[in-house]
Amino acid sequence: MSDLKLLPRAIGVLEPPWRGRLGEYPRALVWSPAGDRLLTGDAAGTLTCFESRTGAVAWSVQAHADGILDLAVHPREARLASAGQDGRGRLWDLDGRASPRTLDADAAWVEHLAWSPAGDRLASASGRHVRFWTPEGELISRTPAHASAVSALAWCGQAELASACYGGLSFWDPAGGALRERLDWKGALISLAISPDGAIVAGGSQDRTVHFWRRLTAEDSMMSGYPGKPAALAFDSSARLLATSGAEYTTVWNFGGAGPEGSTPGLLEGHSEPITHLAFAHRGPRLATGAADAFVLVWDLDGDGQGRLVGAAPATGPVERLAWRGDDRALAAIDAAGGVTVWHCADALLSRRETAVAV
Amino acid sequence: MTATKTPVTILTGFLGSGKTTLLNRILSEPHGRRIAVIENEYGEIGIDQGLVIAADEEIFEMSNGCICCTVRGDLIRILGSLAKRRERFDYVLVETTGLADPGPVAQTFFMDEDVRAHYVLDGIVTLVDALHIAQQLGHSRESAEQIAFADVLVLNKTDLVHSDRLLALEARLRGMNAMARIHRAEHAELPIERVLDLAAFDLDRALERKPSFLEPEYPFEWTGVFNLTPGRWTLSLTTGPDPSLALVGLPLADTSEPGLRAGAERCLRLFAEPARDLAPGDPLRLERHQRLPVPTEGGARFALDIGAPGYYAIYSQHLAEEFELAVCDEQDQPLAPECEHLWVAQHDHDDQVTSVGIELAGDLDAERLNRWLSQLLREQGPDIYRMKGFISLADAPERFVFQGVHMLFDGRPHTPWGDEPRYSQLVFIGRNLDRAALETGLRACLT
Repeated sequence: MSDLKLLPRAIGVLEPPWRGRLGEYPRALVWSPAGDRLLTGDAAGTLTCFESRTGAVAWSVQAHADGILDLAVHPREARLASAGQDGRGRLWDLDGRASPRTLDADAAWVEHLAWSPAGDRLASASGRHVRFWTPEGELISRTPAHASAVSALAWCGQAELASACYGGLSFWDPAGGALRERLDWKGALISLAISPDGAIVAGGSQDRTVHFWRRLTAEDSMMSGYPGKPAALAFDSSARLLATSGAEYTTVWNFGGAGPEGSTPGLLEGHSEPITHLAFAHRGPRLATGAADAFVLVWDLDGDGQGRLVGAAPATGPVERLAWRGDDRALAAIDAAGGVTVWHCADALLSRRETAVAV
Repeated sequence: MTATKTPVTILTGFLGSGKTTLLNRILSEPHGRRIAVIENEYGEIGIDQGLVIAADEEIFEMSNGCICCTVRGDLIRILGSLAKRRERFDYVLVETTGLADPGPVAQTFFMDEDVRAHYVLDGIVTLVDALHIAQQLGHSRESAEQIAFADVLVLNKTDLVHSDRLLALEARLRGMNAMARIHRAEHAELPIERVLDLAAFDLDRALERKPSFLEPEYPFEWTGVFNLTPGRWTLSLTTGPDPSLALVGLPLADTSEPGLRAGAERCLRLFAEPARDLAPGDPLRLERHQRLPVPTEGGARFALDIGAPGYYAIYSQHLAEEFELAVCDEQDQPLAPECEHLWVAQHDHDDQVTSVGIELAGDLDAERLNRWLSQLLREQGPDIYRMKGFISLADAPERFVFQGVHMLFDGRPHTPWGDEPRYSQLVFIGRNLDRAALETGLRACLT
């Protein structure tokens, strides 16, 4: 059910085309590779597909017997993976047809999914194990048990998957599920981000710090002083800026110069409650932040990580997730009140950049 | 977004103490609540109903190395996920494994901001197997910790243990944890309101319950409550260690602990009056301080005439078993008491886990107190399980109430003192507590 209405309060670069509503708490949000559909998964296990242009519900299915915890869309093909609290993963086409094969785990929940950049492997995390699957849902390998439930997954290029848990990071070979490298850290990692060039791996920790490693040298550093848990981390496309949650403001670390060790991070102040999610646009230093204050803000950052607020709009509840469309011309948010909102974002900054790229 | 927080009860106890039985009872009672259960020993017996989630205990220590900052990672994940579908339940029960240290579980509700945002710890309930606890206490650190952390101790399987041993066991449990309420149960059967909705961590209600060791010294050691019908009853004694036994009999409204305590307060005043000496065969009178002669051989009997049906309590100077004190019917059959209570703490166990209660008249200096407490918690945090009380701070018009779990500490001003005499009352429950040092330390903070 989508109830379409205009959002008069969106300002700046965010223009309000539509808003839908889910009956349950939405947990996961992805765009189709073509950008024509937006898919959500909710806490009752319903997978819903919205038409990107109109907000109309294209289809909706009961995908899992219990809640959906994650969705991952194939980087190129019309293929979607869903992870549920019923202990399984499932594969879908973008018309809501399920593959007969289920990605079964031996844990209660399947919590995280990640497609490799080329789309030839799907990684799933359930309990203390990571499994690798073919795009058709055949099991390739399973890793040995982690020290705790896996808290995050991220591909590090095409040939390696990183997983975070209590006690550090692990890097796995998808073919055999064998451990390639471990980066130990005495603490509970709860989030993970890898710079697009693979050089920096960052993890947010339960004890309110952000830890990062330089992959080449395995040198590590810790950034502390966060009032809360940095549960959301994101690198920009240039691999220079790392945006981190863990406060009512966003902290942006600059890896461009000698730092970030010893440097002053950029602080993006605008929310009145803790940041719940953040997402960089696919191209350019544009960052969207969502918070418990039920607002979505859009920032354009400079090379040092200092930011200028360029757009703001209300969600209908504390923001759960944000996602930029592949062309960065639309931003979607899901919120705790069940709201699904898409804003268009076709402003001068992007046009200029595209012009520059075209020239 | 200020949604009501969901209350959480932590259920601990050794394997076989009856946790699963109690859980099933709670879930099957028509209480109108929708309860989610987070269970560790999945499949011990199996939970019949409700939303049950199996947890895989994950203890997260923080990178600062502080043992008091450990949390349960699995609980953070599960509670976080449950909060996102909260309309399906309004209460959470967390069952720990038999060998669990309740510390990390409790700390999770103070340490993790997401858990704190959605949940409030209602209380820690520990089931105690009356038959095996003595043995368990001898062998495992965890069973003492589970008793020390509790807000409610359910002394279960009382049908398997003689009442004298139960009284001694209760006294021992009180010595270890003076803050907890103790309820007896057979087959984990007890009213659900004794274990849920305790608001034990609610500072607003922190002053409602007095720790039991702060009771006055009573001139009686034992109380038995009997359910008597109108007619003639007989109180009988045999030989005993003393030549006489003083007692007071009273009607009581019920057999509840508050009722027994109210009776004890009345008896305290009655015992202060001169005793009336009885001769064998004399009728007993209610609400009178009376001294009964103890025969050197054979027995002595005293008539007890009851006019109205109801509960009658005998508050006796010594333990009933020492004199084989009994209330008998017209056929001379002894009547089992509805309940018994022991008013003396028995110090015949050298439990390392103890409660230390300190009461000090006067005002405390906030700065010195702060310094002392910080140092205490820094040095002994891992050994101090729970801490609770109120203090009179110099220049503050209100009582300051506080409580803590290990090093985590929560406090705020409460009701004003007005004209009442100002004093402070602190209770520590922990391992190897040094009462004298604690008292000296606190006394040094007096203004």
